[in-house]
Amino acid sequence: MAAASASAPSTSTANTTEKETLKALTFQRLHPRAYLERFLAEQVRSDGREPGEWRDVSVNVGSISTADGSALVRLGNTTVVCGVKAEIAEPELDKPEEGFLVPNLDLPAICSPKFKPGPPSEEAQVLSDRLNEILLSSGVISTSSLCIEAGKAVWVLYVDATCINYDGNALDATLIAMVSALQNTRLPKATYNEETGRTTCTRKAMIPLQINRLPLATSFGVFDSAKILADPTAFEEPLLDTTFTVVLDERGELISVAQLGLGVVGSHNILTNCVSAARTRCSQLRSHVYKTL
Amino acid sequence: MSRLEGRKNEQLRTTHIKYEGLDRVDGSARFGFGETESLASVSGPIEVRPNSESPSQATLEVHIRPLAAIAGTDSKALSATLKSILIPALLLSQHPRTLVQIVGQALCGSESGAGYGSAGRGWHASLVASLINACSAALVNASSVPMKGVVCAVAIGRLRDPSSSLSSPTLVLDPSEAELSRLVGGGCFAFMFSSTLSKPLQSDADVPSSSLLWTNYTAMGGAFGDAEFEEARQLAENGATLVWQSFKDSLQNGQVSRPATELKKKALDEEPVDDEKMEI
Repeated sequence: MAAASASAPSTSTANTTEKETLKALTFQRLHPRAYLERFLAEQVRSDGREPGEWRDVSVNVGSISTADGSALVRLGNTTVVCGVKAEIAEPELDKPEEGFLVPNLDLPAICSPKFKPGPPSEEAQVLSDRLNEILLSSGVISTSSLCIEAGKAVWVLYVDATCINYDGNALDATLIAMVSALQNTRLPKATYNEETGRTTCTRKAMIPLQINRLPLATSFGVFDSAKILADPTAFEEPLLDTTFTVVLDERGELISVAQLGLGVVGSHNILTNCVSAARTRCSQLRSHVYKTL
Repeated sequence: MSRLEGRKNEQLRTTHIKYEGLDRVDGSARFGFGETESLASVSGPIEVRPNSESPSQATLEVHIRPLAAIAGTDSKALSATLKSILIPALLLSQHPRTLVQIVGQALCGSESGAGYGSAGRGWHASLVASLINACSAALVNASSVPMKGVVCAVAIGRLRDPSSSLSSPTLVLDPSEAELSRLVGGGCFAFMFSSTLSKPLQSDADVPSSSLLWTNYTAMGGAFGDAEFEEARQLAENGATLVWQSFKDSLQNGQVSRPATELKKKALDEEPVDDEKMEI
């Protein structure tokens, strides 16, 4: 409708375009599957991308001054903001030298009509759990580097991400946001005083975290058992039969491969295709996403 | 061969399936890989709460409970995963406006399921696999929800060679609780066995064709190549076929290694129906 009003030469044509758009929107709402099928028959997606095309990513680091580290990531229309807050805590008894990394993703009602206000939705919990798994298993930060004094004090890093606009593929966007925020984090130099039993921090020396690896997630969806859609949008997501997520590190090596949904005929070709597509995507993306490396 | 119990790398622990015959549910089963055990129950189709009612298909609810403590985020996430794993195997459109409720209970281990999250020691891949299998067995036992196929899952572990940390890890099927500390990653693989799937060329006439339904294969602090993933998938597929066969055995003769009890007889009576369901 915006396009119609901008380029309307006369009111009558404006009205017809407006009507056409409305018709298309009604069709999309009532028959989402058929709507997407018609687009894909023309080898194009409803947002103008090709099936294997990705959305642009932009990263803004350090925009929240009250956090110890932060990042704002846009993946197409999906916007995720992530802040890192550091606290000091006592370590667990059986792991006296290990700090804690606590990632969490919030999908508030403001980001999409899909989500309702109230306690964290199932989707938010699933995504948080997967992000936790990826961050821990890939070893972005070794928890032993968060130790201040063994058995007495360690750092706890709360990596809180909030989605401000949800347009699908929140996992990829959030992982970029979390890793960028961790890269941006500076911790004050902390010393543990044996006599008083307290930890003191000095704001004079701010130390960056030691980042070991830079994981990048790439997600794909399979529509109608045949068409692979890279980086699915919120409209496409509920229509997908299968989703793949491939996590790669900065050298292009596989950290994790996840498939959910029935692998269709020749599924393993699909998976191989996805992995190679993920490699290409990561090599393009890495340079400008994690540029501070 | 460097496994603790002297198992071969591609060998499962003893699997046991027992149809518990819990009184107040429609179907229940206990599934175990050695000491890694789970219990699952199925109720349905039953009445659905108005807010989760769907006009086109039955609503599926999965609840997963850890052995100790109350269900946390990790259990919730696992429930959601299990739900998406089971949905393709069920024909939920046959009973619209109803509810199918599945409850899975972890039955093992001191370290299992107590709030460590799925990345920690809590829901390790073998336990998740046993939960998936218990749910499938319970669904077959209930035989009240039409099924397209049976989901069988196994875990694959990446076992690091203690002598040299540089060499690539060995892939082992069904890592046991004792082996967990020596693993550098791994994952669970769930396959759907169904004769509705197209058959591969060189297929076993006895076993229906299978297709990968879910995996979360991850390397801990390392990386892996395409070849390793393919190897893991193959190993898992063979393992899942063994699980499927033990499912079939448990339905055909009901006499799993344990002595049959009163409750077991009940499960035996339903057998022909269950078996048919599996063959669909």
